Amino acid sequence: MSTLDVVLQQIVNGLALGMMYALLALGFTMVYGIIELINFSHFSVFMTGTFVGLVVLNLMGVTAGGRSLTGLPLIGTLAVLFVVTMAVTGVLGVLIERVCLRSLRNVPGSAPMITTIGVAFILINAMLLTWGPQTQRFPQLLPNWRWALGAAEITFKQVVLFVVGLVLMLALSHLVKRTTLGKTMRATAQDADAARMMGIDVDRVIVLTFFLGSALAGAGSLFFGLYYGFTGYYIGYTTGLRAFTSAVLGGIGSIPGAVVGGLFIGLTQSLGGQLLGVKWTDVIIFSILIVIMVFRPNGLLGARLPQKA
Amino acid sequence: MSLPGLERWRALPVTRRRQILTPILLGIGLAFPFVTSNAGNVDAAANAFTYVLLALGLNIVVGFAGLLDLGYAAFFAIGAYGYGIAASGHLKLEWSNLWVPLEWAGQVSRLVVPGQPDTVQFHFAFWPMLAVTAIVCAVFGALFGAPTLRLRGDYLAIVTLGFGEIVPVVARNWEALTNGAQGLGGIRTPKFFGFDFGFSPYPYYFLGLGLVAAAVWISIRLQESRLGRAWMAIREDELAAGAMGVNHVHYKLLAFAMGAAVGGLGGTFYVAKLTTATPDMFTFPVSVMVLVMVVLGGLGSIRGVVMAALFLAFLQSVILQDLTEYVHALGRVVGSETLQRVELITSLELIFGLILVLMMIFRREGLWPAVRRVAALTREQQDAAPARGGAVRLSWAPAVTPGGAERPLLVIEGLRKHFGGVAAAQDITLTIRAGELVSVIGPNGSGKTTLFNLITGLVPADAGSIRLNGNEIGGLPPHEIVGRGVARTFQNIRLFNNLSVTENLLVGEHVRLEAGVLGAIFRPPHVRREERRAVEDALEVVQLFGNRLLPRLEHPVSGLSYANRRRTEIARALMTRPTLLLLDEPTAGMNPAETLELMDLLRALPGLGITVILIEHKLDVVMDVSDRVVVLDHGVKIAEGAPAHVRSDDRVIEAYMGRRRRVPA
Amino acid sequence: MSAGGGVLLDFRDVHTYYGSLHVLKGVSYEIREGEIVSLLGGNASGKSTTMKTILGLVRPTEGTVTFRGQPIHGLRTNEIVKRGIAPVPEGRRVFPRMTILENLEMGRYTRRSEPGWDAELDRVFGLFPLLRERRHQQAGTLSGGEQQMLAIGRALMTRPALLCMDEPSMGLAPRLVEDVFDIIRAINEQGTTIFVIEQNVNMALSIADRGYVLQMGEVVLAGSAQELVENPLIQKAYLGGA
Repeated sequence: MSTLDVVLQQIVNGLALGMMYALLALGFTMVYGIIELINFSHFSVFMTGTFVGLVVLNLMGVTAGGRSLTGLPLIGTLAVLFVVTMAVTGVLGVLIERVCLRSLRNVPGSAPMITTIGVAFILINAMLLTWGPQTQRFPQLLPNWRWALGAAEITFKQVVLFVVGLVLMLALSHLVKRTTLGKTMRATAQDADAARMMGIDVDRVIVLTFFLGSALAGAGSLFFGLYYGFTGYYIGYTTGLRAFTSAVLGGIGSIPGAVVGGLFIGLTQSLGGQLLGVKWTDVIIFSILIVIMVFRPNGLLGARLPQKA
Repeated sequence: MSLPGLERWRALPVTRRRQILTPILLGIGLAFPFVTSNAGNVDAAANAFTYVLLALGLNIVVGFAGLLDLGYAAFFAIGAYGYGIAASGHLKLEWSNLWVPLEWAGQVSRLVVPGQPDTVQFHFAFWPMLAVTAIVCAVFGALFGAPTLRLRGDYLAIVTLGFGEIVPVVARNWEALTNGAQGLGGIRTPKFFGFDFGFSPYPYYFLGLGLVAAAVWISIRLQESRLGRAWMAIREDELAAGAMGVNHVHYKLLAFAMGAAVGGLGGTFYVAKLTTATPDMFTFPVSVMVLVMVVLGGLGSIRGVVMAALFLAFLQSVILQDLTEYVHALGRVVGSETLQRVELITSLELIFGLILVLMMIFRREGLWPAVRRVAALTREQQDAAPARGGAVRLSWAPAVTPGGAERPLLVIEGLRKHFGGVAAAQDITLTIRAGELVSVIGPNGSGKTTLFNLITGLVPADAGSIRLNGNEIGGLPPHEIVGRGVARTFQNIRLFNNLSVTENLLVGEHVRLEAGVLGAIFRPPHVRREERRAVEDALEVVQLFGNRLLPRLEHPVSGLSYANRRRTEIARALMTRPTLLLLDEPTAGMNPAETLELMDLLRALPGLGITVILIEHKLDVVMDVSDRVVVLDHGVKIAEGAPAHVRSDDRVIEAYMGRRRRVPA
Repeated sequence: MSAGGGVLLDFRDVHTYYGSLHVLKGVSYEIREGEIVSLLGGNASGKSTTMKTILGLVRPTEGTVTFRGQPIHGLRTNEIVKRGIAPVPEGRRVFPRMTILENLEMGRYTRRSEPGWDAELDRVFGLFPLLRERRHQQAGTLSGGEQQMLAIGRALMTRPALLCMDEPSMGLAPRLVEDVFDIIRAINEQGTTIFVIEQNVNMALSIADRGYVLQMGEVVLAGSAQELVENPLIQKAYLGGA
């Protein structure tokens, strides 16, 4: 394979990965946009989602050692898997907001963020205690079809990721831009007091945002499981930091920014891994994070600067 | 529950309590290894001391200065690997003659292998390395802290987290330096005059106890020094701290450096005892663990942090093990398989998470916060008729206005400032003469506070010049302008809320004190003298307000009445010994009696050599105390002159009341 | 200028504190149906606090606020607004990254499921033709005056019983201020009761039926607009003096 082909392959891989990071970053950025909270627990919800997916699949009789599915059974299983997992993670997100964060809504400083760190630890450890430290195999639902793209190739898994990811993003975009509910979310994010003055129940909007954001994390978690074929209690951490960087890079609070950032980080990971070696990708990504936060906290697509003292 | 002794204990002054407690605690500490029969306990205690050191270090950064550092394990790592690399012989560098003096001192050896170039092998002694790694960590502390200087809370934390992640990744991947994921082994143990610490826990215990005692002592000294006050001021209100002369860049970097240095000590100690260092010992959960200790004990509370660290260390090493035994026994009794297999130690991080969540929701100040025990006001003090300030006199005020009255003190020319599309200051030209009291008035949004912000350097001007005593001060940072003799108060009062009245005032003295780190820790005579003098100055300034503030000196300002808060803020500004004082609505919220009292003080200030610029809305006050009045409207100076003259000026009336309609309704 | 009908809003003996600061010290006023009532005062008089109290953004320590006979002083903002009070906040507070049309849609929120959207939209565009022209433009890119128009239009979308305006003249050029006040009068003639909090005495009294003057948290003058305009004390309340 020539260098160009290698690069092309890594671009395909990177974009697929980027979709997952984008989904994860979206949920995170939506919550930040509305209450200016850096929600660490988001990435643990993501991790928990993979286990929820495992349970759902097992309940449907799909196990790790089993064969892949095609046609109608595949579509049906995927549909049930996504809907149920996203619903469960969505509810988990709402629970976290109600139980841990609502009472801290007006507390200045970093207390809310610290609380989310605590919640993240609780979730991680709960999964560790329930499932043990070893990696869990995730059922390989999707058949291993491949197609050539020049001298590179694209797998069926990647196509599914692209399609489902695109569908979810378009749905979110429609919701946010065209529905009344979406508009109330945008209004609340731009000026919560003015939103109240319009008669909007800001508390309910916040709950809804958490639900949607966590549901998207659930979708992202299924991407992880289906794509990589495994999961473990620790995956929230590395994937999370990358999704976090994606959100910050794109402009924290900005929805298109999360998508752009996610794709960028995905590409960075695969191209960077190819060129510099996998073990240095973390350093690269953390450095990007630090550089952005110090020199351009607004990110690439320049969302609103944070207001909290 | 009130024990009879407790009340008497609380009545003792802090120094006395310390004098009693210190030997008791030290005695317990020294006796413990001999009292306990189990060497395992001593070992556990020695390990616990590492955690205490880390907690004390993070306490300086998060507790004192209010900088949330989520990557503190990085300094633990640098201290550990610093000593590890120096004492394990892993690093192989080519020999050069630079190493000869160290070889002579016995710190390195020359390795001769036939057929290969000579290499140098490190085996530095422990004791000098303690100091060296502390210094190296301090440098890294400042380095990692520098990018965060302009960031606020959450973002600052994320950047530190980033650094906290990069360090172990580098450790894992830079194998030539650190032996990668396997880690360094064979790290030499400390030797003390020929006695090798070896693997017995006892010498490490005493070393650890010594380090902890030193760290506690340093923490207390820092907290009660000019440095500690500067940090707490930054933590409470960075803007106001700058307006009182605290250079936030300098002090934030210092906090990072000192916190990192203590963390480095912990790292060196830990690794010397363990004789190995692996990257996994310094990951994010470790940073979080140290944060949990500080949050549990109480941010800024030295004793709280020490107790929490000891508790969590023992939780890990002893308590969870014992509890697990009980649960197993319970399982056997009840016949439950699951209970018999439970290992509580694996739920350690669950416990950390729970602690963080519960503390943040229910008790943000920590379990053992540094409580300020303030005696409630006595009946007498409450009923005392508030005496108005006596003759207004300050010992440092010049008898004669320096340079003679009426010379230009502050000259503003062509000052311009836009915020977005709004012109807050449009070509403002103004001269303030020494010994004057000038009032600046105008309707809402006319740019009065912006003018103050421009003069004091809070906001940079777009154009124009501001000269104080002939020297340009435009462009200088706020804390330097304070040093030039300009002080201010704020429209909505910016006091350091959790600090006492005295502490607030002492921050005002900051620019005129000199103590640095060493001065703060060792308290040589000149530092003790200047601290005494500062307290005397505070008392003197407080008496300008009669006995209103006097009985409340040790009270946290958050509990004071609104009028007293205003007075405290003015007193704090006076502590900087300004030649020019800018007061932004000082009588707002005061009733007529309180306003009259303050007016007496205002009138007297120019006589003390303090020129005053006043923003006021109560025009009666303005008319009474001012020599001159300047009127702003929409950022433009529309009138200037004697008070009575200005009040009847049509333009001024129109600015306040609005223009009459051109076409009658 | 219409004569007053029944009492629409009754603000009675309200005390409000910000921390230890006593901002409103027993303030009382009432607004009758069909009127334009103006609350006047200089800086630090407490005017904006009364608006926030009506809207439920600030809770009074003592006293009551009654709308159409029902107490509203304990309710949340969105519940108060549902009852027919529409605010035009200080500083406009339009949603900057939403279009004019979307802002108006948010204004209609409490009645979104009722018919009448088209009618109200037409009415607002009739008052502010500029908004119709620019209806797809992002609100944050409008000038101050245009944003003020949008803020008023937004508040009108539910055809509220009471329109509360907080310092509509703030930050506007004098010419624009006149236009805005002309529009306020026009809206009142179409039947909406209006409460205007203002610093600009002359402008406010030129359209109001009645007014109250607030100074340091207390009502110091009250009366018809005519009475207040001719009262020399009003200048004293603003500028102090003998």
